[in-house]
Amino acid sequence: MLSFVPPDARYKIWGLANRILLALAICQLIPFTSAAAEREPYDDRYCTTCHGTDGRGNEGIEAPRLAGMEDWYLRRQLENFRAGIRGYHPMDTAGIAMRPMAKLTDDSIADIVAWVGSWDYQPAEITIEGDVQSGELLYGVCATCHGMDAKGNAAMGAPALAGQNDWYLVTQLNNFVAGYRGRHEDDRYGQQMAAMVGTLTDESATRDVVVYINSLETR
Amino acid sequence: MVNPVSRREFLNLLAATGGIAAALRAGTALNLLPGSASAASLDLLNLGSNQRKIAILGGGISGLTAAYELSKQGYDCTVLEASHRCGGRVLTLRHGDLIDEIGNRQYCEFDDEPHMYFNAGAARIPSTHRNLLAYCKELNVELEVFINENKTSFVQDDNMLGGRPIRNIDYTTNMRGFMAELMAKAMNCDELDAPFTEPEAETLLSMIRSFGDLNENDLYSGSFRAGYAEGGFLKHGVQKDMIAFRDLLKSRLGRQMMGANEGDTGPILMQPAGGMDQIIRGFLKHVGEQVKYRAMVTSVKVTDKGVNVAYDQDGVRHSLEVDYCFNCIPTHLMVGIDHNFPSDYVTAMKYVRRGEAYKAAFQAKHRFWEDLDIYGGISWSNTKSRQLWYPSHGIHKAKGVVLGAYDYGGGMYHTMMNQEERIEAHLADHEKIHPNFRELVEKPVTIGWHRMNHMLGCSARWSRNFGRGWTHEEETLYHKLQAPVNGRHYFIGDQISMHSAWQESAVMSAQWALSHMDAQVRAELV
Repeated sequence: MLSFVPPDARYKIWGLANRILLALAICQLIPFTSAAAEREPYDDRYCTTCHGTDGRGNEGIEAPRLAGMEDWYLRRQLENFRAGIRGYHPMDTAGIAMRPMAKLTDDSIADIVAWVGSWDYQPAEITIEGDVQSGELLYGVCATCHGMDAKGNAAMGAPALAGQNDWYLVTQLNNFVAGYRGRHEDDRYGQQMAAMVGTLTDESATRDVVVYINSLETR
Repeated sequence: MVNPVSRREFLNLLAATGGIAAALRAGTALNLLPGSASAASLDLLNLGSNQRKIAILGGGISGLTAAYELSKQGYDCTVLEASHRCGGRVLTLRHGDLIDEIGNRQYCEFDDEPHMYFNAGAARIPSTHRNLLAYCKELNVELEVFINENKTSFVQDDNMLGGRPIRNIDYTTNMRGFMAELMAKAMNCDELDAPFTEPEAETLLSMIRSFGDLNENDLYSGSFRAGYAEGGFLKHGVQKDMIAFRDLLKSRLGRQMMGANEGDTGPILMQPAGGMDQIIRGFLKHVGEQVKYRAMVTSVKVTDKGVNVAYDQDGVRHSLEVDYCFNCIPTHLMVGIDHNFPSDYVTAMKYVRRGEAYKAAFQAKHRFWEDLDIYGGISWSNTKSRQLWYPSHGIHKAKGVVLGAYDYGGGMYHTMMNQEERIEAHLADHEKIHPNFRELVEKPVTIGWHRMNHMLGCSARWSRNFGRGWTHEEETLYHKLQAPVNGRHYFIGDQISMHSAWQESAVMSAQWALSHMDAQVRAELV
């Protein structure tokens, strides 16, 4: 808009404008822009508010344990939540609750994954009961991907199960069975899992297999 | 044939079905009648040369009440606050403030002026909340009247009068008129009149006429109470047209309109001049040095002699050994923090549901409501935004902050939206009341209490059958959680009350715990 004004005059106008702005700022007619620098800082390390001390999970608000989760699995799930690949089904209430929490930058995700890895690890408390023998038979299918020891298999994209909150494993198995998880077209690994839960024909089968996982040694 | 009801029977029936018994219960619940505790009755022993260490987990109103009272009596208190600020759900937003909603962090961009603030949490103090008011007095917190119901504000419902907003006064005057006409007709019917003596019936009828401003034929034909269509000062006022009863019945908002001055909002309401957090600032003038910020509790272990608390601050895990611990961490978050509480205690902690309240506010570019004769108060609509609050303070100044949404029970509707969707929803809703609302406001803030960091919920929900009261089991769980663990660890906060969501409840829960602990300390020292 100043293109018709000669360059040196433009500079003078700019200088004058700046002086007026400065004077106005001193008179507090316009706010100081430096106020932004004094603002309360924040970071994205808010995970433990929900996921509990050292990420050991909080059954009270259905937040699973993050401690002990493999870095590659944690990253993938955060990215899935961020992309809406997970937590998309209206019946997956905990998953839906997680989605806005995962509005994170790649840098924040990397920071969180490293932070989670630094936490003190303790095995999860056992909260459910069932038939361990029946569970062992059912676990045979699971072992293909998650390993005989349920310690996970990165090459298969299958996370560790041993040491996770048992109530969370039950919820997720139920979600896979009901189609609340693993049906999104971009959720490749979730789809694999959804195809594998056919052997869990009722609630007691789900509980039994988790009780068997509970019996395995944690990391 | 139906036997006529005798007068005594009728009055007994009236009391039993609604009136007196219910009123007495409600009066006690609302603290309208003398309660068990008041600030004056809190008589804690001064420790003198004795020493006791106290950990207070959470710097909300209950935690600060505990810190303030105990410090006065010589206790060595440490307040661990997980967030960057004290106050909890006493949150006043001003220029530059961080709104730490997980997944939706915002900074408040209101103009930097003393009256440009928004009470995003607690916003009203009923005159019957005497314990809180006693602290306001003691801490020199200046109070001003909060205008809750305003007859010139609007009521708008898409189902009523084609969605045209009408003034509160038009709604209530006409509704009362029609209701009075119905009651007068009933009184003039012999059978219903029968239970009353002639003088009683005459008194009742005169009150009914007065309630609805009926004419000499006991009919409602409009009323000057609704204001004038024109004139009224230099010329005689011209009465407004009546609104048809049927039209008013298209809306269910009568629940808000006819009950505005009942219950918790019945007494005169007040707010601290300059923002609700003046109360927090008042406490912090005395106990501010004892607060550790961004200190997240990681473990609470009760021992025979006291409580061991661990917390993270600046990436370092610290520990604190104390004689007593007062804990106002929301129970649903405490479940995820290491502890050694007994299992029945944990059952109670897990039982409490999280409140879902949601609020939003806008800066108004000018005080457009004052041009419409509105000074303070609430406009109601049947939109999801529900309420539009005009500020009681800053009258005739250039700008003001309006509350643009308050959903106490069903706040998840907006909480589930992203920031842009929330704002658009409120703008669209309020355009139905103020057609150019969109152009009149700027700089929105939204607060989904269900996602606020370190709280993850609004007030605790004990009862799961809303409207039908608490079950016996719920009362048992509540009393379990109110009782201390091993005499050393007390849960406090409005979560440990039967009337959550009020600062008074938080104050009284802390005072209850302090009195209980005081009895133990007295026993130890005597």
